[in-house]
Order: sequence, then structure tokens, then C-alpha cells
Amino acid sequence: MNFNIRQYSQMLADHNIEVIYSGPIWAGGIDGMAEMLQKRLEYEDLPFSASQSVFSVFVEQMNNMLMYSAEKDRQKDPDGKEVETSKGIYILGIKDATYFVQTGNVVTPNSANILKTRIDHLNTLDKKALRQFYKQQMMAENDNPESKGAGIGLIEIARRSSTPIKYQFEDLDNGLLYFTMYVTIKQGGKE
Amino acid sequence: MAFRLEREKATSTPYVLIDEEKKYMKLEGRCFHENVAGFFKDVNEWLDAYLASDFDTFTFDCAISYFNSSTTKLLLNMLLKMNKYASETKKVIVNWITTEDNEIMVECGEDFREDMDNLQFNMVIM
Repeated sequence: MNFNIRQYSQMLADHNIEVIYSGPIWAGGIDGMAEMLQKRLEYEDLPFSASQSVFSVFVEQMNNMLMYSAEKDRQKDPDGKEVETSKGIYILGIKDATYFVQTGNVVTPNSANILKTRIDHLNTLDKKALRQFYKQQMMAENDNPESKGAGIGLIEIARRSSTPIKYQFEDLDNGLLYFTMYVTIKQGGKE
Repeated sequence: MAFRLEREKATSTPYVLIDEEKKYMKLEGRCFHENVAGFFKDVNEWLDAYLASDFDTFTFDCAISYFNSSTTKLLLNMLLKMNKYASETKKVIVNWITTEDNEIMVECGEDFREDMDNLQFNMVIM
């Protein structure tokens, strides 16, 4: 037992982290996590729009990790159906009526380039421009059924984030990168 | 016989009601299912057939309180289809039902409405 859970718990408390999930993410599992998060948000005395933004960012981030995580595995569910899982970590912190959400997962250099380009672009857009861009991309995808929905989820995250999306890529020994995304949600929405 | 489908809501899927006799469809609740296209397959099949038929009116109450980005695309697709078939003799009414504090749904309804010239698209904000 080298892992000190008491110290870990204290560390989370010191950083105002209220919710944490680390491990495999799979499409069907997001439902259960979402339900837990929803219940947790009901305890916070914040406007509906803020908790709804946290919820929406959570759903899109989970799908984002599902899609981009380079640490994938295949497991059999209880019904014997094979499901693809992606490894990732999600944390939600609350401090001074501000939510902060952070996710981490391993990505390939190619995914890193795509993510970097998209987030950098989104960070140049204001609330109104993001709304227009979302709609424009949605219309474009409707005309192209082959598209796998790339990008719309990230735009939704940017729309709900009160500040520009912060991110970081760290080089790993195996040629892959560790991707961290950081989103802040304040009362009153995007600045 | 007129088609009827009723499905209770679950964590990530909405309540669904199709009542062909009443020329009516309703969605209510939250929708962020991983396979939203699969979930709405039968709904879409019925909708395609109904819209292509010689109908006179159709009402769609959309009271979804939250949906994720992949559901947004599916819903847009449904609405564009309705808009395509709607005319003076084939009247399609869409009631976009939400609450004032639901910014995501209010904005989404407004954005959808802009492109639906043939629909009677009502924003019903409670």
C-alpha cells in the first residue's frame, strides 16, 4: 500500500476539487457519470445556466476524450458485447462561485495538431462569433453525412467556457503527448 | 391503422410520443445518448414516411431541456426535413418549449428558427 489515500484526499480538498473520475471512459458509461454529476450540481446554489454549462461541458469533454484518447482498450460488457474504452481523467472544482473543469488524456501527435489548431481558433472568437460558427459547422455537417461530428463538441465547450480554453501538451517518452484542457465557468457566462 | 409510439424517458434519452392519428409528435427531457441516430431510427423512419405522405397538418412539440452536440445535428436534420415538406396545404407547426433561464435551448431555438421559412416555428418560453 504505497498509495496514501488520506494525503490524496487532502490534496484534492486543498485544491477545491469536488468531483474526480479517472479510468476507462466508454460511451454507455457516460450516462451514469452524468447522473452522478447532475445530482452533485443540484447541491450548489448557482443559477441553472451555470450548472447546465458545467453539465454540457462534461458531456462534450467525455466524448472528446472518447474520440481523441490514444490509450484505447476493448472490453466485454456484461452482455458480452465488445465496447471500446478510452483512458482519461476528469476533475471538477468549485471555488468562489466559479467552476473549473480539467481533463487529461494521452493523444497522438496528429490529434494534438488538430486539437491545437481548433482550440487556438476558437479562442479568437467572442460569444456571438462562436454561436455563428457553431451553427455554420452544424449546417456544413448536415450537408456532409460522412462527417463524424469533428469540432462541434469543442465549439460547444468554448461557448460555455467563461474564459478562453487553456490547454497544454506534454511530450511523453513513447512519442505520444499528454493533453490537458482547462475550462472555467462563472456565473453570468462568457465574458 | 395510425402509427403510435410512446417511449419513457431515461437518463440520456427523452420521452418520445408519436400519435399519427392526432398528427402529433413530442420530445421531452434530456438527450445525450451515445448512439442518438440509433435511438431515433424508428422516429425518423416514421417521420420520413409521414412527411412524404399527403398530410394536411403536423405538430411537433419539442420540450427538450438539454441535448449534446451530436443530438443537435440530428434535430436540425429533422427540422430541415419538416421545412422541406411544409407548405400552405401541408402545415407544420413546431413549438420550441423551454424555460427563460435555459440559455442553451433558447439560443438553439432562435438559431434553428432562422432557417425554417416554411414552418410555423413558435418559441414557447415559460
